[in-house]
Amino acid sequence: MKDFQNINPPRLAVWILRKLLRNDLLEEVEGDLEEKFFSVLSKSNKRKAKLNYWKQVLLYMRPFAIKKTKSNYSKYSIMFIYTIKLAFRNFLKHKSSFLINLGGLSTGLACVIMIYLWVNDELQMDKFHKLDKQLHQVLLNHEESGKLNTQPSTQGILADALESEVPEVLMAVEDTDPTWFGDNFSLENDKKNIKAIGKFSGDQYFEMFSFELLHGDASIVLDDKKSVVISESLARKFYQNPEYAIGETLTWNLLQFNDKVKVTGVFKDLPNNSSESFDFIIPFQNFKDLVGDGMNWGNYNAMTYATLREGTDLASLNERLGPFVKKKAEGSNVNVFMRPYSDQHLYNKYENGKLVGGRIFYVRLFSLIALFILGIACINFMNLSTAKASRRLKEVGVKKAIGADRKLLIFQYLGESIMLSLIALVVALLIVILLLPQFNVITGKYLTLSFDPIALLIMFGITLITGLLSGSYPALYLSSFQPTEILRGKLQSKFGELWIRRGLVVFQFSLSVILIVSVLVVHRQIEFAQTTPLGYERDNVILFPKEGKANDNLDLMLSELRNIPGVAYASASNHKVVQKSGFTTGVEWEGKNPEVETRFENVASYYDFIEAMGFEIVNGRSFSREFNNEGNSVLFNETAIAEMGFTNENAVGRTIKVWGNDVTIIGVVKDFQMQSVHDKVSPVLFRFDPTFLPNMVVKMQEGQEKETLARLNKFYEDFNPGYAFQFEFMDVEYQSLYQAEEKVAYLSKYFAILAILISCLGLFGLTSFTAERRSKEIGIRKILGSGNWRILVLLSTDFTKMVVSAIVIGLPISYFLVRQWLDEFALRIELQFWFFAVAGIAALAIAWLTVGIQTVKVSKINPVDQLRNE
Amino acid sequence: MEKNYLGEFEELVLTMVGILGEEAYGNAIVQEIETKLNRKVNLSAVHVTLYRLEDKNLVNSSMGGATTTRGGRRKRYFKITNTGLSLLHDMQEQRTELWKLLPTLKFSTI
Repeated sequence: MKDFQNINPPRLAVWILRKLLRNDLLEEVEGDLEEKFFSVLSKSNKRKAKLNYWKQVLLYMRPFAIKKTKSNYSKYSIMFIYTIKLAFRNFLKHKSSFLINLGGLSTGLACVIMIYLWVNDELQMDKFHKLDKQLHQVLLNHEESGKLNTQPSTQGILADALESEVPEVLMAVEDTDPTWFGDNFSLENDKKNIKAIGKFSGDQYFEMFSFELLHGDASIVLDDKKSVVISESLARKFYQNPEYAIGETLTWNLLQFNDKVKVTGVFKDLPNNSSESFDFIIPFQNFKDLVGDGMNWGNYNAMTYATLREGTDLASLNERLGPFVKKKAEGSNVNVFMRPYSDQHLYNKYENGKLVGGRIFYVRLFSLIALFILGIACINFMNLSTAKASRRLKEVGVKKAIGADRKLLIFQYLGESIMLSLIALVVALLIVILLLPQFNVITGKYLTLSFDPIALLIMFGITLITGLLSGSYPALYLSSFQPTEILRGKLQSKFGELWIRRGLVVFQFSLSVILIVSVLVVHRQIEFAQTTPLGYERDNVILFPKEGKANDNLDLMLSELRNIPGVAYASASNHKVVQKSGFTTGVEWEGKNPEVETRFENVASYYDFIEAMGFEIVNGRSFSREFNNEGNSVLFNETAIAEMGFTNENAVGRTIKVWGNDVTIIGVVKDFQMQSVHDKVSPVLFRFDPTFLPNMVVKMQEGQEKETLARLNKFYEDFNPGYAFQFEFMDVEYQSLYQAEEKVAYLSKYFAILAILISCLGLFGLTSFTAERRSKEIGIRKILGSGNWRILVLLSTDFTKMVVSAIVIGLPISYFLVRQWLDEFALRIELQFWFFAVAGIAALAIAWLTVGIQTVKVSKINPVDQLRNE
Repeated sequence: MEKNYLGEFEELVLTMVGILGEEAYGNAIVQEIETKLNRKVNLSAVHVTLYRLEDKNLVNSSMGGATTTRGGRRKRYFKITNTGLSLLHDMQEQRTELWKLLPTLKFSTI
């Protein structure tokens, strides 16, 4: 027989066996197992024996053999189980306060979770690029009459110069802003013509930005001038399967320019957290050819991005970069600087060359609001649970009398509140899941509730902190009582607490009042903005890009359009009127102060444009076919005329200079509101210029828009085969100018509801607290003959005072705030007394309703029930 | 007798206890089943069964003296009781009765 002296059964298995096996079985089992172990060992090898031993040990883990754990319960686990049990019993016993607390906490948590999702998304914007740390955008500070004006557009030749001359710059890429070309960019093959968002970019674009390429090599896709890289979805539109796209030929059209290019790459559709948005990219060289002489140090026609050597000190680099352009071009007024690329989303507001924030303001604001909401929800919870403390005093007394120490009680109450907050978390998550789609519509984001470890950790962290915070006061408060006093029924309330509670209610109601006023004002202002007359007719006007044959023969297109029944006017322009598109300072007139640069909104138009838009001519005439040479005729609006120091009467017939050419003023247009009502009316110059008119305008006769549109569609198909008739209604375009305001309206509505809900909870807490405290007083009053109504008045007076003081505090603040908001609008509503009256009355009504429910219940109670329990 | 049958495994273990007589303890029974029937069983399964049988008063047990072979640990010896023995007899008889009723195998031609 071999010697097995040194081989023993696995130690861990033996240890487990000893720990878990019943003591009276242990000896024989261990013996048997060891015997078995050695017998297996003698027959086969050590590994098998050990394995077998493990197996046998594990098979002993069955009910009959293992220790009964019950006898071994530690006092802590008992306590823990009882805490849970008691918490549930308490929840069941006091259903209403449980539900109120749950409602308050879960709305608070839901709010916080949504804000967290939003803030997190904002902070992650544009950070996904692999070179994020090195990636920078080049900006220019223009020196304009002593001030700095920061602009992202740079010279198209800047990137190459930076890359070759600045040692810290590893790579520099230029591209065009996709919004510049709008709807005028399209791609086509022999079957389809698709409008898409496109841009021209330098050849290293895909090396610099980590937009994932499905097909093609990032380092070479844009090398060939005649290439194009398209998005996955665009590839699908053309070829069904993106794989088939590579090597295919497409033609791009931009206004009158076009060229054939080959698809060299397909990129995955851009992620939601990218500020960039485009469907295809064409090498920048094409744009250079297109611009021709325009590529110089005086023209700003590209965006420039650069990656810097790792460890570059941005501040000192910017110092050196400053005069970069001035050294190249005499008389240039621009200073160059860079900022981290991913800052563009959150830090993009510059004033006089200094960064003053931007979107980050909202991120911080909302984070603060989230904390605020959570804080208030916690305090309300504390309020309610301390208010209900007297219900549990006896419990505390008995527990203390039989030996529970303070720690134990604190543990119990904290456990209870943490449990409640965990339940609230579940409810909150449900609320978030329900509301997230709506929230996404408002915020324009694609937020999803993801359960990655970090998000989970944060959510549980928030919940735990909420539970601890909201449970801490009641826990400390309840556990601090002397058992003898509790059991004898003596309890003094501290005076200070009441003041805190009152203050809180006042605070919450002030907030509600402010929000109610804001909701009213924001809604009225938006309504006003969308209905107020602007000085032109935007109903029944459609806009569509000039493309295809219309580029070749505009006159034919327009006369054909005019022949369609239902079309009142047809014209073309470079301007959409609802948006500003470009200004010029190139107007010179007699007596002009050379120091002051006046910006004129530059509207290039064709015949009938002024008529189609419904602009009113105050004096003179508009462009007309009866006059042959309209190229030297211009019109101005009243503001422009006043700016030049003329009057409506004497301006017509004058000769001035536009870009050095003599032109004659032929008419004056009545002032109208360009863009949204945010802006003051600015000087407008109307030129007659058939060369650059990218937008077609059609004014339809009222009453038969639908038929007219159908006819237009039919006409377009015949006239411009291969192009889809894609138009936009001008009034819809106008409405979309107020997206930001609509968001404010939405958000303020939701916040108002939330604030009201939370303040009602706060008030409810306070009411139940006082009602509880004064229950004996009420009982005695009733016995002495006081009626229900008197009791109701008695209890409500206190709250009415609080709410009134909240209104007194809230209204002036709300006045101040909405005043400031309205100041951003050039045209705005007058603040009327009734906005504030409605808010105040609403707050009072809500308060009374909340208090009423509670006090009516208290006042109706039988005094015997309140008094006998002594 | 309210219950005069056992499960197959219980019967097997009980029989083994009877066979082994004075030397019936956990591991010995496992070994015996293995050698006699060429059937692998787990110690724990046997152990559970032995205790169940003891509960039913079919075996009784006592701790043996200290040993030298297994780390000085004692063995628990099991001994079949009269009840156990008569139950085995009863079951044997029942089975013989049943066997008699079973028709002899015929290879019928269809």
